[in-house]
Order: sequence, then C-alpha cells, then structure tokens
Amino acid sequence: MRDAHRNGIHCKRDSLMECCGPGFASPADAINAPRETLLYTIAIYTGTGIQKPDYLATVDVDPESPTYSQVIHRLEMPGIGDELHHMGWNACSSCFGEAGMSRKYLLLPGVRSNNIHVVDTATDPCAPRLHKVIEGAEIRAKTNLSGPHTVHCLGSEIIISMLGDARGEAPGGYLHLNNEFEIVGRWESSMGDIKFGYDFWYQPRHNVMVSSEWAAPNTFMPGFDLEEVGHLKYGRELHIWDFEKREPVESFYLGEDGLLPLEVKFHHDPDSTHGFCGAALSSNVIHWWKDDAGKWQWEKVIDVENEPHPEWPIPVPAVMSAILVSMDDKYLYLNNWLHGDMRQYDISDPHAPVLTGQVWMGGLLGKAPEVNGVKMAGGPQMFQLSLDGRRLYVTTSLFSTWDNQFYPEIRERGGVMVMIDCDPINGGMTLNPDFVVNFGKEPNGPSRCHEARYPGGDCTSDIWL
Amino acid sequence: MTTYRVTIANRENATFEVEARRPLLESLRAQGVDLPYGCKYGGCITCAAKLTAGTVNQRRQVALNNRQINAGYVILCVARPMSDITLEIGVDSHGELYRNPFLDPLEPHELKASPHQEPDDGP
Ligand code: FES
Repeated sequence: MRDAHRNGIHCKRDSLMECCGPGFASPADAINAPRETLLYTIAIYTGTGIQKPDYLATVDVDPESPTYSQVIHRLEMPGIGDELHHMGWNACSSCFGEAGMSRKYLLLPGVRSNNIHVVDTATDPCAPRLHKVIEGAEIRAKTNLSGPHTVHCLGSEIIISMLGDARGEAPGGYLHLNNEFEIVGRWESSMGDIKFGYDFWYQPRHNVMVSSEWAAPNTFMPGFDLEEVGHLKYGRELHIWDFEKREPVESFYLGEDGLLPLEVKFHHDPDSTHGFCGAALSSNVIHWWKDDAGKWQWEKVIDVENEPHPEWPIPVPAVMSAILVSMDDKYLYLNNWLHGDMRQYDISDPHAPVLTGQVWMGGLLGKAPEVNGVKMAGGPQMFQLSLDGRRLYVTTSLFSTWDNQFYPEIRERGGVMVMIDCDPINGGMTLNPDFVVNFGKEPNGPSRCHEARYPGGDCTSDIWL
Repeated sequence: MTTYRVTIANRENATFEVEARRPLLESLRAQGVDLPYGCKYGGCITCAAKLTAGTVNQRRQVALNNRQINAGYVILCVARPMSDITLEIGVDSHGELYRNPFLDPLEPHELKASPHQEPDDGP
C-alpha cells in the first residue's frame, strides 16, 4: 500500500512546480493550485514524559488514498528536548521569478534546544529527510540569540524571530541565514525600544514589517503565571518596521485590549496595507492599516467575551492563540483554545468583521468533548487552510508546559488533528466526519501535533513582492 | 574531588556517585539515567525533578517560581549537589509543578524572583 502511495501523485507534486521559481505568480494563482494531498505537522514528546525525539509527521490528506487521514511517515529529530513548534519554508512566492530557487526545505526550529533542523521535503515528499542541523549552541555563540519562533524567507534568504538573547532574556532579535543555511548574523539593524518578540510578517510593496510580542523564553517556557502579565513580563504592543532599514519606526500600545499579541498576518494582496493580530489573553483581533494620510492606524475589530464556567471563580478567557487569513483575503479564522471553538469571520470590510462560521472541538466549556470518536484533550489551537479556502486542518496542543497546566489529560490522550469544511463562497464551517488523526495512538505513545504545512505552499507563508 | 551520593526514589532507589561541581543532569545522564531536558541552561523547566532529601545549589536556574521551589523542585541541568541527596525524577514527579494559573493564583511571595537579582554561583 505504501509503495502504491509513493508512486502516486503525492510524491511528484512538488517537482511539477519547478518550471519557474517556487510558489505562485499571485494569490489568485495559488487559489487555483492543485488540491493538497499531503501535509506536514510537527509532533512533540518534549514535556510529555516520553523520552523520544520530536518528529515531523507526514499526514495523508488525499481522500482517494487508502491511507487517507493517517500518519504515513515520521521523521525523528536527532535528539530529545527540542520542542518543535512553528516551521517555515526556505522559499515562497516571493522568489517566484527566480528559476534557480525551489521550495525544497522546511525549517523546524526547536524552541527549547535552539537547534534549527533543515528538512528536505522535495526528494521524497512522503518521506522527508534531515538535510542539516544548525546547532543551538552555534546560534547562541555567534548571534547571542535563543528561542527561535517564526521562519520567513526573504528573497533567497531566511529570517527567524528569536524571542530571547543567549540567556533566554527578552527581547532577542532576528536570526539571518543565507540560502545554504549558514548563519549570516543578526538581521535587524536595531530592536529600538521593543521589549519582546514573537511573530512577524512583511509587505514589501509598502516597505513594512509588523512584529508582535509574547514574552522572554525564560518567562513563557516554564509555563504561564498570570501574575506575570500584571508585572509586564508579557507583551502588549505591536511594532511597525521600516523593512529596508531593518529597524522599528513606530509602536502601537494596545494595553488591556492587546494582552499577548501573538500571530500577525497581512492580507495576501501585496498592495494592501491591512493586517490583523490575535491578542491571545485579551482574546481580541486587532486590525491595522495605513490611512489616506499615510499614517498607520489600529483598532480592535473582534472581542471574544470570557465565558462562565461552573468550577471557575472567574469567567474563562478564550485564549485566541492563532489567526489565519484565507488566500483570497475574504475570511479570517481564529481559535479559542480554552473555550473550544474555531471561528470564521468575513473580513470583506476589514473594519467590521462578520461572524460566518463556528465549530466546537474540545475546550473547557464542555461543548464538544468528543470529535469523530476521539475524546479531546485540549482545544483548537493551530490551523492551516487549503489554498482554495475549503479545508481547514486544526490541531489541539499549544506548548508542552501550557498544555500541562490547562489540559493535563493531554499527557495520556495526546493531540488530535481534525478537518473543517469551509464554504469560501457563502461562508460557514462544518466538521468533516471522515477525517481525524489521533496522535494519542502514535507508535511511541501519545504525542502532540502543532503547526501544519503543505508541500506546495500554504496560507501562512507566501508573500508577494 | 568531592563526590556525593544521589538516590533516585522512583527508580527503585538506584544510587549514583556524582561530582559536587558538575550539574546533576550531566552527571546522571553520563551514568545512563534517562532524563528529560530542553534548554540545558536552567530556563525551561523540562528537566525539573523533586528533591526529597539533601541540598543542592541551583542559583543559576531561572525557570521556577517560589511556589515550585518551596514544593522541592530542582532544575537538574544547573543544580549541583551540596550533600547526599534523594530525587524523584521525570514527569511522575511533576504533580505539583503545573497548575491552572486562573484557578490557583500565586501569592506575591510565590512569584518568580527576577533573574537579575540572583547572584551567580561562579564556575
Ligand atoms: S533543560 Fe531547560 S531548565 Fe533544565
């Protein structure tokens, strides 16, 4: 069965795309790309009690395949304790014009170990192989950085937000790699007055980058102490950068509306200045744009209310840890990790999002304790949308120590990946009844899946020049 | 060279001789004890174990808050023994390490100390 699979379209898809540079000429072309047949998600054992390396799982998402909705390959990292988390490509649509480039390598940083694993996903897309490891100790020694998070390519080079200095204290900075995955040094000219790092996204036509704030690695890695928010050890600002000068030029103080501003996404349309950030603890979506006078503005456009819980002395915050914008820029998706719902908003008017879909899966409010026969531990956390906007793949684990605090049962049950069918024309979401990947049943014991990506590009990596 | 004896209570009281100057994670792993770890500099809590007897020097750790310290947790990647000690290791010892921060808030004296106020314990 496995061989039949390997000879199928799965393993050839990427090579079909090597006529030009990687990715697509435009977001419209990306939407019309062939349907995804494979996806990659990281799965962790760090912090779970299982003394095994974290790994990159290949999940079969081709409904015609006999191994649909199963993990068909596991690439283990060389050692234990990395805590794989987010990933990024060596190249995206920003290199579309460069015939010599291809989207061949996926970079998998280990938040705790600082190691950055470069994985070749093109030679055999079903069975990715390790190409190179940039050792955490080398990164610390050469750049005084640690705590790798978001990976974006930048023409033929790569920048990675690093949330701490070599001792794990904020604000860290940006690691710059060349296309041979060698350390160039620090990318930024200055961090200005920025206190923390986390996610970033850039929009080259407007010479702008926006970055957000979590906390120092030494603050967030051991777990979440609410009191530390009050002591300003967690972020509450967004930063606008002069992308070419590589320095911050303006900051938005979001205050109580923007506690823990995590994921930032610009519109995919390279001419747009609109973008969004999910403030995890406030559980708000912040919208920013450049006004007619050329001034950057921000506003809160979505506010998810805390919900009462019979056993809680205070209402439960939603904890909106991720957001995603569809390739056509029409919908914004967000998760409420503690409540347990995924939501879809129509953002045709970015100033006034309209809720158009909602699906419950796990969470603390008890609305969907079981999904497709799997007892959930955790809530919706990370997600990836198909390029055509019709399939949203959702996983349940946030970060090992934070999982252990809010959903201790995840240790025995592991993480889950489910699929939500989305209607990109009229809006709306429904849980797909035929797809579920239960990482509680992995061969080495329950693991936890987090971010997912497709071989051919996805909705959270491609940027157009 | 000063050495101390480490007893691991939840590994059938297995004992190991370790050097006083070396971090416990390093010494125990070198003798084949399978221990979890992540950052290896005292910042991420992955290697936490519970000290049930004896004393260690763990001034370099920056992961634990004072409640966790009072519950006996030690950060093995930086902790060095100052006497014979008894440990419980791995996640089976982590029962009091993690707590829901909304249901069970910390008192002011239980907060994590600022790392800048911690004296360094030298080489
Ligand atoms: S390995 Fe990170 S605190 Fe010890």
